[in-house]
Amino acid sequence: MSEVKLSKTKYKIVINDKKEIEADEGKSLLSTLLRQKIHIPTSCGGKGKCGLCKLRVAEGADILQPAEETLLNDYEKQSNIRLSCQVKVQNNLKIFIPPEILNVREYNCQCTDIKDLTYDIKEFRFELNSGDTLNYIPGQYMQLQLPLYASNNQRISRAYSISSDPKDINNFEFIIRKVPDGICTTYCFEYLKKGDKIKIKGPYGQFSLTQNHTPIIFIAGGSGIAPIKSMLHQMKNTGNKRKATFYFGANRVKDLCCIDLMSRFEKEIANFRFVPAVASSDPGEKWDGQTGLVTKVFRDDYKDATGCEAYLCGSPGMIDASIKVLKEIGVKEENIFYDKFE
Amino acid sequence: MKKSPDIEKLEKILNSSAIVSGGFMGTDTRDLYEIIAADLSELAGLGITITKLVSRMKEITAAAIPALGNWTNIDEKRHARVDEAKGRLTCPWPHLGRFEKRITFVENIHTGEIVKWTDLNIHLIETHNFFEGKGSPYRIELKEIVKNIF
Repeated sequence: MSEVKLSKTKYKIVINDKKEIEADEGKSLLSTLLRQKIHIPTSCGGKGKCGLCKLRVAEGADILQPAEETLLNDYEKQSNIRLSCQVKVQNNLKIFIPPEILNVREYNCQCTDIKDLTYDIKEFRFELNSGDTLNYIPGQYMQLQLPLYASNNQRISRAYSISSDPKDINNFEFIIRKVPDGICTTYCFEYLKKGDKIKIKGPYGQFSLTQNHTPIIFIAGGSGIAPIKSMLHQMKNTGNKRKATFYFGANRVKDLCCIDLMSRFEKEIANFRFVPAVASSDPGEKWDGQTGLVTKVFRDDYKDATGCEAYLCGSPGMIDASIKVLKEIGVKEENIFYDKFE
Repeated sequence: MKKSPDIEKLEKILNSSAIVSGGFMGTDTRDLYEIIAADLSELAGLGITITKLVSRMKEITAAAIPALGNWTNIDEKRHARVDEAKGRLTCPWPHLGRFEKRITFVENIHTGEIVKWTDLNIHLIETHNFFEGKGSPYRIELKEIVKNIF
């Protein structure tokens, strides 16, 4: 019997009223866009679990899938926001993707250095393939595509803020804290070696410095220092004279990192001040800096912070506590920017 | 008894590293519902209900959160701290719960014994009566937790 080939129906997807692509019936919108090298963020690989792959489908979408009922809020549902991994191509579609996502691409790179910053935080340096360059806005993040290894049998990715100097366009760095039994940090800490090749996607995110002259309060804890460090490189590179104070919270002295670099920034950035704060010091530990939770330390410094902008990165608990205090000292909600670990 | 396709699919997810490193089943070769039945039986033998256990775990986690990663006294016997990481963990069951990557550590001040759980552990116990398989990094051993948090 001769083989019968069934041809799939093709549909058209119009992107941002500008670009038109062809799509196979039944494929997910996420995978269709990926084939066109449009990298919508996702960390679960399209299983409808992470909720990162949101975009607006103005026309042609099928009904909401169960995954979307939970992961989209009412406003998003009314605005035709969908999880692109859950939308099947069954009609011509009209979709809108944030312009910055269209600049996202995949990069091949090689790990060139791994440095201990503390007992559980490392700095990873990567070099892009020859001739390739990475342009990003300090504060943005990349998604590291995790290779298969002993404790991981799935194709997944994890997001890490870029911590490096943005003028170093052939290289980039991540500052990563070990998560006990975390899929990606276990790989980075126990398997990744100098010379290993990895793939990353990005840049993603809208956490970035505004272009005005208001004073800045930076607040970070642990590996949350990463995007702030990149922003400070940018302030140095551009001769930025904004008044800026960086409150860096740590539980113990041994949890502090990048202290020498921050001291150099105090000399190199016109109006920058670094305030490390340690919650409590162990017996025998020498510490003559600020002691207490970082929220207490910056509250004591600012009786009135009206007119300041605040940039925060760290654990959800630290961000929530900091936002509460920032509002109490007068910082307007719209001037509080954060990269919560979500 | 033949397993339904839904249970087979769930066990496949629990055995994979789709959500957590190494999966939820550890080295346990028992079926999911064998594990759950054995743990519920053990818990009943310890004179504790799921409701009472989960309530105490939530109480300790809530008390430790404001210390932002530092140890805080819970009572005269124990202190606790929470450690948070970037991202969220999703429940492997098909109902879309998402939980912050928060680990609560509780240390018995007198013995130095430490037990730990994640926000996802609390949900898995409360909603699915699942304490994870033996050998899983976040398996909750019933005798240990009951001894150290009550």
